[in-house]
Amino acid sequence: MIWVTWRQHRAQILVTAGFLALLGVLLLASAIEASRYVAEHAPPGCPGPALACGELAVALGRRYDAVYSVFGWMPLVAPALIGAFWGAPLLGREYERGTHRLAWTQSVPVWRWLTVKLSVLGAAVVAGGLLLSLMVSLWRPVFRTGVDSTFGNIGVFNMVGVEPAAWWLYAFALGTLAGSLFRRTLPAMALAVAGVAVAMFTLFQLSDHYAEPARVELSGTVLLDDPDARLVSAAWVEPSGKEVAEPAGSGCPRRVDVGQSSRNADAWQACLFGKGYRYAVYYHPASRFWRFQWTEAGILAVASAAFCGLAVRRTLRRPG
Amino acid sequence: MTPALEATGLGVRYRRTWALRDCSLAVPAGRVAALVGPNGAGKTTLMHAAVGLLRPARGSVRVAGEAAFVAQDKPLYDSFTVAEMLAFGRRMNRRWDGDAAAGRLGALGIPLDRKVSGLSGGQQAQVAVTLALAVRPDLLVLDEPLANLDPLARHDVMRSIMAEVAERELTVLLSSHVVSDLEETCDWLVVLNGGRLQVSGDIEELLDGHRVLTGPDGASAAGVRVVSASRTGRQVSMLVRGACPPDPRWRARRPGLEELVMGYLRSPESAALPDLTGVGA
Repeated sequence: MIWVTWRQHRAQILVTAGFLALLGVLLLASAIEASRYVAEHAPPGCPGPALACGELAVALGRRYDAVYSVFGWMPLVAPALIGAFWGAPLLGREYERGTHRLAWTQSVPVWRWLTVKLSVLGAAVVAGGLLLSLMVSLWRPVFRTGVDSTFGNIGVFNMVGVEPAAWWLYAFALGTLAGSLFRRTLPAMALAVAGVAVAMFTLFQLSDHYAEPARVELSGTVLLDDPDARLVSAAWVEPSGKEVAEPAGSGCPRRVDVGQSSRNADAWQACLFGKGYRYAVYYHPASRFWRFQWTEAGILAVASAAFCGLAVRRTLRRPG
Repeated sequence: MTPALEATGLGVRYRRTWALRDCSLAVPAGRVAALVGPNGAGKTTLMHAAVGLLRPARGSVRVAGEAAFVAQDKPLYDSFTVAEMLAFGRRMNRRWDGDAAAGRLGALGIPLDRKVSGLSGGQQAQVAVTLALAVRPDLLVLDEPLANLDPLARHDVMRSIMAEVAERELTVLLSSHVVSDLEETCDWLVVLNGGRLQVSGDIEELLDGHRVLTGPDGASAAGVRVVSASRTGRQVSMLVRGACPPDPRWRARRPGLEELVMGYLRSPESAALPDLTGVGA
């Protein structure tokens, strides 16, 4: 049965493995080149927070961005591809070609055929996702000493930790279920892609509620001194301690800025701070990285299990 | 002796419509049974229920021992080579006679390293039948095995199956809507019409037990079980079951298989079913 699974799905497995290998080579080459650059050009004490390190940081940043732009699309596109090419054909193609009548009339019972396929391919998908996460997690620190954005940047967040594995598994399960519903590959592919996009958007909206946001009151600035935090909302706090969305009757003149300038807004804010206003920011600190990772992975894992269960149920009920 | 295939009160429903209702039949072991009926009669449904691809809504269907199935259109994996199809069969089955399968394909001149998609329709049918036979089944179920095949390939496929039947105790259930395909090979007849079972029995006994009567319009048919009748001008032609009428104006003869089948299909309310209490049950 494992041989059968491999033989039927080896194209997807090999293409995915080849793609990951290619990405690995690219990341490795870029990391080696960056390390060499650091070794040759870094002033003593760099990379680090010292002032002299600024130029080095910019040069590394340029290298990082160049490579990141190559695979920055992956958090959304990779799960969609997994759903379309690993999940959708699993049942959709069998029904479409009528080969389910061949596969399901052998000695191996249907439930076992499906269980082996789901577990072997599901495990492969999870392994692929974890490999991607590992490679990205090893590669990023070369460029980003002291400046982390794995939590604040949702794109990066979805490429590290357990996120890629969870997303890939979700997409695979969704594609499989879609195949069992439509009994054709192409509509199942479309549903898998749409389902991944919808889920990603929904979870992005939902992620603010994974934990109670932390609150901090700022004075003199509206910018949070944590580059890796996720902002949830903000409000002004009147001198009386009352929180308002828009300060009214503060007596500070507010004029609209023109073009790129933020001079008027800055002046207004400075005036408010001068009158005793404070700025309250609700946010999730980067220390919640793993909490958010596991929460999202948990949601996706439950959804995957439900999808797989439905696909199995539907297949066993009406195998013909 | 237990029948190779036995259905009791079998009913299969697709949403609201019944594809098969109240179907009780038994095919004795070692028979080659022809399942005939017009398109949409429920032939495929009965076969799918027999091999477990469908769950009956009512009643049950039981196969004694291992069943192998070749679906309509003989599905195979296009991207597999013939050798890989054999590996598929070996890994998907408890019983597997790989040597016999490879030998059969060799004798048919089908190269093992050829992709399935590169085979002719007849060769694909042979590969599908070979896979089914390699399981050493007790019951071989073939859904329209001869459809879409040229006359030579039809003959070859049929000969392969019959050779296997001659070699060991194998029961075959094969469907067709072309009766002439089955005349020489089958010894048991099952007629389905509109989801209902009309005929099930030994072909020789059925033919012996029926008569085709021709006579003038108005000849007395009292006391005769008429299956169906047709009128051409002043001539009446009838298929009757059992004894002939005493009226001497009738001329009687034994029907051919096709006449028998057509006679029943023309009048769906007629039935010739054995007393099932004697078989298995």
